[in-house]
Amino acid sequence: MIAKLIVRRLAISLVILLAVSLLVFGATLLLPGDPARAILGQQATPERIAALHQQMHLDQPAGQRYLSWLGGLFTGDLGTSAASGQPVIDLLADRARASVFLMVAAALISIPAGLALGIWSALRRGRVADSAITGISLVLAALPEFVIGIALVALFATTVLSILPAVTMSPPGTQVWDFPAQLILPTAVLVLVVTPYIARMMRATMLEVLDSGYVEMARLKGVPERRVILRHALPHAIGPVAQVVAIQLAWMAGGVVVVEFLFRYPGLGQALIEAVDYRDVQVVQAVTMIVAVIYIVVNLLADVVGILANPKLRTGGDR
Amino acid sequence: MSAVLAACGGTAAPAQQFDLEGPPLEGGSLRVGFVGGGASDTLDGANATNLGDIARAVSMYNTLLYFDDDYVLQPMLATSVTPNDDATVWTAELRDDVTFSDGRPMTVEDVISSFERIVDPEDPKSGAASLSHLREMVKLDERTLEFRLDTSDTALDETFGQYTSIIVPTDFDVAAPVGSGPFMLESFTAAQSTVLRRNPHYWGAEGPYLDEVSLLNFNDTDALINSLLSNQVDAIAQIPPALTEVIASDQRIKILNSETGMYLPFTMRVDRAPFDDERVRQAFRLAVHREGMIEQVLSGKGTIGNDMFAAFDPAYPGELSQRTQDIAEAKRLLAEAGHPDGLEVELVTAPIQAGVVEAAQVFAEQAAEAGIIVSINRMDLTAYWTDYLNYDFSQSFWYTRNFLAQSNAAVMPGAPFNETHWADEEYIALVEQARAEVDDAARGELIAQAQEILYDRGGYIIWGFANQIDAYQGYVGGFVENRTGIPLSGFRLDRVWIGEAA
Repeated sequence: MIAKLIVRRLAISLVILLAVSLLVFGATLLLPGDPARAILGQQATPERIAALHQQMHLDQPAGQRYLSWLGGLFTGDLGTSAASGQPVIDLLADRARASVFLMVAAALISIPAGLALGIWSALRRGRVADSAITGISLVLAALPEFVIGIALVALFATTVLSILPAVTMSPPGTQVWDFPAQLILPTAVLVLVVTPYIARMMRATMLEVLDSGYVEMARLKGVPERRVILRHALPHAIGPVAQVVAIQLAWMAGGVVVVEFLFRYPGLGQALIEAVDYRDVQVVQAVTMIVAVIYIVVNLLADVVGILANPKLRTGGDR
Repeated sequence: MSAVLAACGGTAAPAQQFDLEGPPLEGGSLRVGFVGGGASDTLDGANATNLGDIARAVSMYNTLLYFDDDYVLQPMLATSVTPNDDATVWTAELRDDVTFSDGRPMTVEDVISSFERIVDPEDPKSGAASLSHLREMVKLDERTLEFRLDTSDTALDETFGQYTSIIVPTDFDVAAPVGSGPFMLESFTAAQSTVLRRNPHYWGAEGPYLDEVSLLNFNDTDALINSLLSNQVDAIAQIPPALTEVIASDQRIKILNSETGMYLPFTMRVDRAPFDDERVRQAFRLAVHREGMIEQVLSGKGTIGNDMFAAFDPAYPGELSQRTQDIAEAKRLLAEAGHPDGLEVELVTAPIQAGVVEAAQVFAEQAAEAGIIVSINRMDLTAYWTDYLNYDFSQSFWYTRNFLAQSNAAVMPGAPFNETHWADEEYIALVEQARAEVDDAARGELIAQAQEILYDRGGYIIWGFANQIDAYQGYVGGFVENRTGIPLSGFRLDRVWIGEAA
């Protein structure tokens, strides 16, 4: 039952990925400007532009370039970067690892924190702690990553206190996690952006469940409060919250671009910004596909959690 | 924004005192940050384009000659480079004590193959355009060679002084680069960072003092400045003039403010209406309030221009009267040219260099007084460069150059970057004469005459020359003001050292 659902979702995902690749390729074609000129800047003489065009295979028609790239995907070949002449996979492997590391670190903190804050706040409905959490999370949710990031840098790195690094610097051959202090601020920004949503959703769902008939029934039957929450209320709340968590994680894949820009973090977001500047279509495609895959996988996982947590879907007929 | 916050909050750390009187201390490493770079970053100094490329080129390689801090040519790998009577043959005498970073001595063959590499028709490097007249190179003996040209060129030595004219071994391979510069490559990741270490075979008598140099790419000025304020880098190149005061208010930080010959001109195509009319060009130049431009665009960090380039050329005609804003005269000239009610023009701009877009906006305001309605078409960089050289009215930027080199690059037939589509017969004749005149005084006279033509009817509005402003930590020694327009003392990191707390 669940397997069938997942297979169907996977098939749809493939179609979506194909559509994304076409869209992005089309969009890059619409960008004004010529990659060779972008790379050479003011130094571009006709001879050097011609030489570079040939090196970059820009003399081939767009359709042909797209098809050969798509063909490469099936053999695990992401193509060659126009700007550097190196395989895209080599350029992006380290950066993808760095970005995923940042997102996973942020997720590992913000999901439990969001869930815990949400539950705690729901259980203390109307009291001071609840109002405080609700208020703070509202403010944080309204602030863009940029503002939070700049404020944190000024607070902890440059102006008020000088205790944390303001940017990420990893010498060639090292990984970002070799310098844990540099990860604190970028991770904190993502955590501060994502946690409020999860906490608010958890609180709302939890309140709804706590008000429902079966919780009341369980309480009336004398089930201990701890057991009521863990066995009766929580499982019902997890399904909808999983969806929100998934959306937040997927959204983080976008927020990470801003964070990487702000902290000079060597991840996919930076690679994407740079590739757009240089009209490096292969790299833009690859990064977009990676982000699309993250979106799809995260949403798929959320659906699975939703199904597992929902007794009706778990046992019942077709959806 | 971060800098604004820095201004409000003051500085946390008290300034320490450092002994930088010298002599320079040996050892240590320097971290240098700058904005720019991308996947196309190169280790090949002959193709250097962005700041990182230039820093690598200057650190890893040498050239026959170089421009010193006053923008005067000095010997480097060559002890002398001298022209014959009509400057068609140049003879270079090489130093005999130069070794590359792999320990091999530099030979005449290395020099010849280096220039063959630069002009390679299959893969021409940046300097190829200014060497198009190079017919052949001939070895005279183990230390001497001749450069034989098709046409006279009294400014060939300036080409030898460009940072892209690098000398490398005959078997040079950019994948494992070998040069004769003070530093050699340790590791390199395009768009992110480069680590250089001291070249143990360096031939120079002084320096380098540092064991290691890290060049770090940033894509955002805020992150760059934050990294300096949080002491993650020791020096940063090219800060926006408007932030100078704010950064300088931090006691730990020093500012390097260098006058340069770098300019951000407006370019008017002299072959198309409305700028094909000399009076329109003059009117536009009279509409500019030059002090206002320096003040608003460069925060006062610059010197005023007089519509002529090459301010440091010995032949620059400083005695010509300074053009100033004259709205009445501008209006009169426009009316005379058939625009009695003013005219509308499109100004194409892009953030090609700090201050360019701001200059466009300030100009639009100033010109409005003279009845010139400027609509600004702001593009992104890639789009801008794609059509560069085709805009009727646009902007550009140039680093310090002397007159002939600048003419060859921008205002002569066959010049690769003729932004104004300039083709003035009288001017061309003067420049060609100057190219062949080896007597300094006589050549200076010809150059001054050519400059006057630019002053009277050229297609450039050169409103000023921008200072180069860098910032560095108080414990760093060896940075001096430098006119080349290349940041951090022309990236001459061989002179830089780390001081000890006093």
